[in-house]
Amino acid sequence: MEKIVPKIGIFIWNQGGRLSQAVDLEGLVKKFSKAKNAARCEFVDELWTTAFFDSLRSAVENKQIDRFLWVGRFTSYQMKYIKGQFSAAGLNPYLHEWVDLEDQGICLKDTAPEIRAAKAASLIQMALARNRLLEPLNPMELPASDAILIIGAGVAGLHAAESLSALGKQVHLVEKESGVGGKVALLSRFYPRICDPHCGLEFTLQKLSESDHVAFHTLSRVEALSGSPGNYMAAVQKKPRYVSETKCNACGECLTVCPKEIPGAFPVSETMKAIHSPFPMSFPSAFVVEREHCPPECRECEKICPAKAVDLNQAPSEDQLRVGAVLITTGWDLYPLSKVEEYGYGRFDNIISNLEMEQLLSSHTRQPGKSAKLSLNDLKEVGFIQCAGSRDERHLPYCSSVCCSATLKQILYFKELVPEAKCYVFYQHIRSSGFEEDLYRKAREMGDVTFVRERPATVALDEQKGKLNVTVLDPLLDKEITMDLDLLVLAGGMCPSQGTRETAQVLKLPQNHYQFFESHLQCHPEEGQRTGIYVGGSCREPMNVSQSIDSSHRSAMQALKYLAGTVLIEPTYPVVNKTKCDQCKRCMEECPFSSFVFDEKEFPTPDLARCRQCGNCMGICPLAVISLNNNTIKQMAVQIEAVNTSFMGKKEPVILALLCENDAYKAARAAVDQGLPVPPNAIIIKVSCAGSVNNAVIADALSLGIDGILIGGCKDDQCHYVKGSQLVQKRSGDLSDKLKTMMIEPERVRFVNLEIRDANKYVEVLNTYIHDLKAMGPNPFKI
Amino acid sequence: MPPRVDKEKCDGCKAEEETLCEQICPGDLMTLGENKKAYCRQPRDCWDCMSCTKVCPVGAIETRMPYQLGYHGAKLVPMMGTDNITWTCVDIHGNVERFRYKNRVEPE
Repeated sequence: MEKIVPKIGIFIWNQGGRLSQAVDLEGLVKKFSKAKNAARCEFVDELWTTAFFDSLRSAVENKQIDRFLWVGRFTSYQMKYIKGQFSAAGLNPYLHEWVDLEDQGICLKDTAPEIRAAKAASLIQMALARNRLLEPLNPMELPASDAILIIGAGVAGLHAAESLSALGKQVHLVEKESGVGGKVALLSRFYPRICDPHCGLEFTLQKLSESDHVAFHTLSRVEALSGSPGNYMAAVQKKPRYVSETKCNACGECLTVCPKEIPGAFPVSETMKAIHSPFPMSFPSAFVVEREHCPPECRECEKICPAKAVDLNQAPSEDQLRVGAVLITTGWDLYPLSKVEEYGYGRFDNIISNLEMEQLLSSHTRQPGKSAKLSLNDLKEVGFIQCAGSRDERHLPYCSSVCCSATLKQILYFKELVPEAKCYVFYQHIRSSGFEEDLYRKAREMGDVTFVRERPATVALDEQKGKLNVTVLDPLLDKEITMDLDLLVLAGGMCPSQGTRETAQVLKLPQNHYQFFESHLQCHPEEGQRTGIYVGGSCREPMNVSQSIDSSHRSAMQALKYLAGTVLIEPTYPVVNKTKCDQCKRCMEECPFSSFVFDEKEFPTPDLARCRQCGNCMGICPLAVISLNNNTIKQMAVQIEAVNTSFMGKKEPVILALLCENDAYKAARAAVDQGLPVPPNAIIIKVSCAGSVNNAVIADALSLGIDGILIGGCKDDQCHYVKGSQLVQKRSGDLSDKLKTMMIEPERVRFVNLEIRDANKYVEVLNTYIHDLKAMGPNPFKI
Repeated sequence: MPPRVDKEKCDGCKAEEETLCEQICPGDLMTLGENKKAYCRQPRDCWDCMSCTKVCPVGAIETRMPYQLGYHGAKLVPMMGTDNITWTCVDIHGNVERFRYKNRVEPE
């Protein structure tokens, strides 16, 4: 293959005289006109003229110039404009290289002119070395599905499904229960309007059932997910319902013959038959048979069904769904209250959870006469214990955020049904935030609602009266009070649901230390730690109904980018050099987004749709054989080789600052812009993430005589790529230890956390580092 | 003298079947112990080629000098760059010498 010799056009934009004040541009032009591969080198006063671009365009067309090196401070808008000027002439937009001399402190007045000149020359030399290795790149478009898989058809999942189907996207809703609606279908009332949740659910379900784009998969679970964003393949296992969803019209004939009574969902719920509707007003309305409760050989329901909908021989089935993105809305479960032993849940029948209270409150809407253990009208004195499990280090250390308002709502509705009842609330703090304060005010103004700011000391059953004897120290009265209650409602905390935990396992999605799904809230909002997998609703954190609907809509919005039919991939993705890779698989382990997969020869290779191009694989590779396109290790190496290690003179140390382009580099730039006294000793190389710095590159720099290497990354928990900062700290720590064995000061490699506005800190860090390096003396490799 | 593995640092190449040192050792001496740390299973057979020392991604392996070359306190430490290797030699008196070589020369 013929080796292409680059013909570089170097143009130094004077920026209205700013640069020529600081350095001798003519000297630079003279120097770089003769540089290797330089086709042209000029400094330009009037850059933004049509004539200038026209002349360059013809040079490109005549193959005199095939790539550009622009020196000066260009905004991203200007860069885009310049790239656009040459794309018509057939120049690939990735063949431009930019050097911002101002960012590196060339225009700072305090620096001696000869240092400025030497530094500017060194910086251009570095960029030139890098420019020679630029490759023309083209973005890729991968075909993608326009379907989405929503796991969990609770209120969050349903609302997201509604919005996405309205946009014409195919929606697969997978729900493990026999009916959709999740926890909300179990509630009696919503706040703030104290309206019936079924009303809202019906409203949404109506639209969903009319849509051609929605497929409901009830009694189903996602068993496996393969593929990549835009082209996931989900294996969905469906348990038999034993009743045809299309034929059953919920007439209820089967209920008359079913011989088996089974307990309801909660201890307080009414019993039901083995064949039953999933729950009142459920969707789909088709009945379901709990086969494990059926008496053997009984086929009464099958015989009597007028619609011939019952089929007791139904077998499980599996579906393969091709989807572009996954939205997880698996919601929450109630914290197991029997673990909160002091309140006696599970020991006494009249201690119930707030979720059971919802059932009790809605029981009046159902037919009486079933064997429910509690009846609303018998309740005259009811206590509510807040934070049962929440805000308790032994149980859930966090605040479940909805229980205060939920209790207030229950009181308001309960008093509506049983006006003469007395209520007691035992609480730590009432956290009815925002407009929910209205509920608190209303409950207080109601009368017969007593708020006691302490949790009960003892709860015991008075067997004679059949009441609960509760003792509590009232801090306002400063004395112990006792009361006999008919019912005690525990406001249990929200914890990640069983489905959340299972989904995390199947999808290998990281969870936070509370086992909720987690991501970078600001940088990758609503996205799980895997590209193309989004999380919404209360599987992210405790949320009330309206918050989870908001959240799932945000996630749906984000997911849209993988539902467009194509996935666009920036060409600056990582490439593994497979002739040198020895399959150690460290990249697979350390990639923050698990984007590495095996290719057909078992080499790790990035899944381009999943990859976020942070370059952590490039940093971590022990053999330095992974590189981002046009940001390769080789390019970094030649750049470092081009550093003039004595531009500061013999005595002053030279620092190579490898700064994360998101935070640390911006801080360095801000330091210059704010006119801070930035010492000129540092030569900055911008990297995509501090984690993309390979130890081999640092070794290069040290062995070439650079006195100190400063790696600037985000704070550990703030890295855009989750763990880039942590990884590079660990690696540079290892390298420091090696330096010690080489009789070199380990402090020659230093990592600092810099936030985007840490301009002052950057200057301070540089000054201390220069001070320390001076004490160490020059790098022994310095010639 | 055989390679010495710093057990604190060695991460067993994240518990891969074959660690990098295991792959590279010409005598097939390095292997992963039950504690998921690499060790040299036959120290007498080691040729002191230092391949494992160079390849270790976390810098956990140190090769002690054989006594024929340098007595206690003498050291030979490699550091791998992108296309070069840097050697640091320390003798028993603490005198240091350093060498940098290009080891991956690509055609221009």
